[in-house]
Amino acid sequence: MKKYSNLFQLSFFLTPALVIIIVFYLLPLVLTVYMSFTPIRNWNTERYLSQFIGSYNYYRIYHMVKYDPIFRQVMINTIIFVLITLIVNVFGGLLISLATYFINEKSSSTLRLVWLLPRMSPIAVYSLVWYYFFHGSEIGTLNSLLLKLGIIDKPIVLGQGVIPWGPWSIIVFINGLVGVSFGMIVFSSALSHIPRELVIAARVDGATNWSISRKILIPMIRWHILYVFTWQLLSLITSYAHTFLLIEWGLVNRDYGTTLSLYVFLTAFGRGEQDQGLAAAAATILAIIGTVLGFLTLKILKFERMIAKPRGDI
Amino acid sequence: MVTVRLENVTKRFGKVVAVDNANLEIKDKEFMALLGPSGSGKSTLLYLIAGIYKPTQGRIYFDDMDVTELPPKERNIGLVFQNWALYPHMKVFDNIAFPLELKKESKEEIKKKVTEVAKMLKIDHLLERYPYQLSGGQQQRVAIARALVKEPGVLLLDEPLSNLDALLRMNVRAELKRLQKELGITAIYVTHDQAEALAMADKIAVIREGEILQVGTPDDVYAKPWCKFVGGFLGNPPMNFVESTVIRESGELLIGESRIPAPPKYAELLKKFDVSKVLLGFRPHDAEVIELKPNMPDPPMLVGEVFAAEPLGRETIVTVVLDDETYVKVFASKEQKFDVRDKVGIVLDLEKALLFDKKTELVLERAFEKKEFS
Ligand SMILES: Nc1ncnc2c1ncn2[C@@H]1O[C@H](COP(=O)(O)OP(=O)(O)OP(=O)(O)O)[C@@H](O)[C@H]1O
Ligand SMILES: [Mg+2]
Repeated sequence: MKKYSNLFQLSFFLTPALVIIIVFYLLPLVLTVYMSFTPIRNWNTERYLSQFIGSYNYYRIYHMVKYDPIFRQVMINTIIFVLITLIVNVFGGLLISLATYFINEKSSSTLRLVWLLPRMSPIAVYSLVWYYFFHGSEIGTLNSLLLKLGIIDKPIVLGQGVIPWGPWSIIVFINGLVGVSFGMIVFSSALSHIPRELVIAARVDGATNWSISRKILIPMIRWHILYVFTWQLLSLITSYAHTFLLIEWGLVNRDYGTTLSLYVFLTAFGRGEQDQGLAAAAATILAIIGTVLGFLTLKILKFERMIAKPRGDI
Repeated sequence: MVTVRLENVTKRFGKVVAVDNANLEIKDKEFMALLGPSGSGKSTLLYLIAGIYKPTQGRIYFDDMDVTELPPKERNIGLVFQNWALYPHMKVFDNIAFPLELKKESKEEIKKKVTEVAKMLKIDHLLERYPYQLSGGQQQRVAIARALVKEPGVLLLDEPLSNLDALLRMNVRAELKRLQKELGITAIYVTHDQAEALAMADKIAVIREGEILQVGTPDDVYAKPWCKFVGGFLGNPPMNFVESTVIRESGELLIGESRIPAPPKYAELLKKFDVSKVLLGFRPHDAEVIELKPNMPDPPMLVGEVFAAEPLGRETIVTVVLDDETYVKVFASKEQKFDVRDKVGIVLDLEKALLFDKKTELVLERAFEKKEFS
């Protein structure tokens, strides 16, 4: 009897979460995997959804990886974008949280708030701000500034002209700025939980901010760093909203700005010929890459935890 | 090795005065306890000496050198914290070696010094462990080892024993005192535990609300408190205080219905100055409880009835409630048996009893000296 009522209680509390996971996560996943084995295009579900073509879409992707220069560029873009933005995110967050750790409480909280702005402002508004900042004519903030200072004598068309680092640096910069706040919040909170005495003790022994950071603070928040690293890695692989807008508005070159997740989106929902089957196959591959990377870091996390055995037998 | 001197040191945090015009000298090789209740400013005072805080006013000297503006690392101090502040991700060896590594000493030198200090504190078999693999007492030794390894001129300890259980505390207390004497190091020891201060220190500074109330040897501070607070803070149970009215003509004190002669050393003072209300203070050991028998000729004493009797093994604490609802605690020998509500008398050892001014709560001789009395 008791067991049943427990089960009932459990299901009562778990059901909403389960429903959400099934409806918004598992169902789309299954659907995507299924679609990747069909030739579905232009959302013509009636005609294509019941046709099964095996791994044809995957073969197409394999072929594209081998021979299609545009798709190869997409892969290079993705690797460059994910790696550099990841470094900016994690190290930027770490740097800001350490810097604010060493200055007094009041000004550091305002400073932290400023870094939250990119995350808090709507994607379109935020993208528009940087659209005008990097604009390739005299109206662009950056250009007009450089012109006024006399550093350049005609506007630089960064996103379309300076290939490939122009478009790359713009998308890395804009996404990096959004992501920095995440690491910053996690790290700041972790740092604030380190007993103050540890830092005071080190100071008394003559440690500088640098050696306190390197020898005490960073080792003590290494799990948080790994966690943020994983989290940002996974979200960067799948994020495309800002980049999409900047490419649509013509600020960033399409060939050198498109990443894999944006490619999936454009293939499925873009203008002209839509190829949902291909997009689904690419999305599935993306999901597999993400899962593998995620598991890998979790494994490292667990493994390291086990090395540091807790006291007691629990 | 070092004499520490504070001159008119004040520390404010915004509106809070954490240390109020402190003057204090800690002699070379002396063990000084800073004793006070929570929030009295003990830690702040210690951190001022360490250089972690800068005084709002006043100067701090190490020997003849003014160190007020010197950062902590240039003061050559060892600091031990209440929570020991061991680096959790470093092995014991690296924890102890950390101060030396910052000084960029050579590997061999570091190894030699760490092993030496670890041997001295009997933790040389623990060097390869992490802090979380140690017991509280062992962690505490590591913290002390880390403070001592750089051979500091002054050892500063902020309630280092308060995280240990009572029995261990007693043992470590004795060891720490011995260690300090063997090394001949100047030590400043923060505690809120009066027993610890009495047991370990050469001198005690009692602090309340940022103010140093009294500095003296444990005997002095215990037997001759300068004010009610000090008397009430030291001793377990603390000093008893009983309100009394002075009868000037006879030199007696009126307490409820009872009359007792004023302590002889105050006879002169009471004649000279006009003071009517005083607090009579006496330690639980400086009085005797006697059973009241009918028709017995009364010796001069306080009368009341037994509220509770707590046998402690060797002796018994008797709590007596006097006529005027004041509770006092007195030690009695274990042969004496008391029941609740027994009528009893308390005979004081008047040589040791003290009188305090009721308003300023200063002991009478000081109140008169300062001309602050009611
Ligand atoms: N950094 C600070 N900022 C503001 N106020 C402080 C600071 N440090 C201490 N105080 C205040 O100064 C007073 C003395 O604090 P301190 O820590 O020195 O007390 P303590 O005697 O060590 O107490 P405890 O026994 O609880 O450790 C307290 O009122 C405290 O709130
Ligand atoms: Mg304290």
